[in-house]
Amino acid sequence: MSNDSTFKTFLVAFLLCVVCSILVCLAALVRIDREAYNQRLEIRKTVLAAAGYQDKIAAGADIDKLFLENMELKIVDLATGEYTSAVDAATYDQKEAVENPELSVKIPADLDLAAIGSRAKYAAVYLDKSGAVVLPIRGAGMWGPIYGYISVEPDGTTIKGLTFYQHAETPGLGAEIDNPNWKKQWPGKILFNKSGKLVLKVVKKGKYNPSAADAANTVDGLAGATVTGNKVHKIISYWFGEHGFGPFLTKFKAERGG
Amino acid sequence: MAKAKDALLDPLFNNNPIALQILGICSALAVTNKLSTALTMTIAVTLVTAFSSAGISAIRNHIPNSIRIIVQMTIIATLVIIIDQMLKAYAYEMSKALSVYVGLIITNCIVMGRAEAYAMKNPVGLSFLDGIGNGLGYGLVLMTVGFVRELFGSGKLFGVTILNTVNDGGWYVTNGLMLLAPSAFFLIGFIIWGLRTWKPELQE
Repeated sequence: MSNDSTFKTFLVAFLLCVVCSILVCLAALVRIDREAYNQRLEIRKTVLAAAGYQDKIAAGADIDKLFLENMELKIVDLATGEYTSAVDAATYDQKEAVENPELSVKIPADLDLAAIGSRAKYAAVYLDKSGAVVLPIRGAGMWGPIYGYISVEPDGTTIKGLTFYQHAETPGLGAEIDNPNWKKQWPGKILFNKSGKLVLKVVKKGKYNPSAADAANTVDGLAGATVTGNKVHKIISYWFGEHGFGPFLTKFKAERGG
Repeated sequence: MAKAKDALLDPLFNNNPIALQILGICSALAVTNKLSTALTMTIAVTLVTAFSSAGISAIRNHIPNSIRIIVQMTIIATLVIIIDQMLKAYAYEMSKALSVYVGLIITNCIVMGRAEAYAMKNPVGLSFLDGIGNGLGYGLVLMTVGFVRELFGSGKLFGVTILNTVNDGGWYVTNGLMLLAPSAFFLIGFIIWGLRTWKPELQE
């Protein structure tokens, strides 16, 4: 039979498609099976790192075990700051909720410091055994969105740690927000002053003065990445403002810090 | 035997897909800021080129001429999807670092080029070796570029600190250009220059 007959052309195309689709299906089945696990592991790792467990993670601790022993997932209604059971904590996906009009709210333009347009009504937060809480933050970076977690001590104002798990900042400059040397200046910084005003700021590299009166609420920026530093500053300003975790932290402090 | 050796080793220097055929430049720019991503990409492209060439060669006498390119494309795409899915399943962080570039192997001219130029005319074994050889030729350039970019851009090799950078409290001021894609253009240019000076018969 000639290779170029119509019948043979259809036959070869058909057989090829059947074989290839079976192979692709099998590969997809393996991937689907593992993907949910991979994503959950990544979030657990980031949450733990933000809560100050990075040394244990680096030492090769079992992420799942460490997480389940120390972290408790809670859903917070951001408007009231109260814990809520309006959505199922186990299946709630905050990133998806942002796309869902019923589960998200538009951010008024004058409050939208992080330039994200809208946010989910409910936030998935993690209570650490030590008393701290790990909060999800996100916002516009220089080239793309930045996602991360930040943990706050029981006093509701001292930062325990922070970690970013997704960003598109310039390698070597803005991407240094992942550098442990930069992140290590965050623990101990103060978010709010005595009268409850948000005072934490990220300044241009070199403007930080360790002996100044505001040193406790000032973070030194990154060399060559002033824009990224400003964006991180704005993300913090939004998420710790009244439209973000402000109401929650007030309640959290009253409940845990006494 | 000599033919097998040629199929495997020729693409390394004498007929390098990037340096001589100037194919696959796009991904060579995108994935070479670290050696680990460059190595993963090398392995992925080598596997795809080898198995697609072998597969296409195996059925070369039955491929109707009118749908030749579509058949090649389907086989290549299937292999790329399988590799992409496996990376997502078992090397999640690496697949995030490589992002779309694994999927884009489908459009890498090296794979298609070897299928059309070699696998359609040669037996399975030789086509497989030709695929391995071209994948390695591609990888050789990728690894060389990745070596220079990671060493001078981040002061590291495979994530291990070689030059202690200022950002980590050391002395080495990193070269920012090396972290950005255009630096690979310059480096590949230098490699092509060097290769053609070493082997003048490659000059056009």
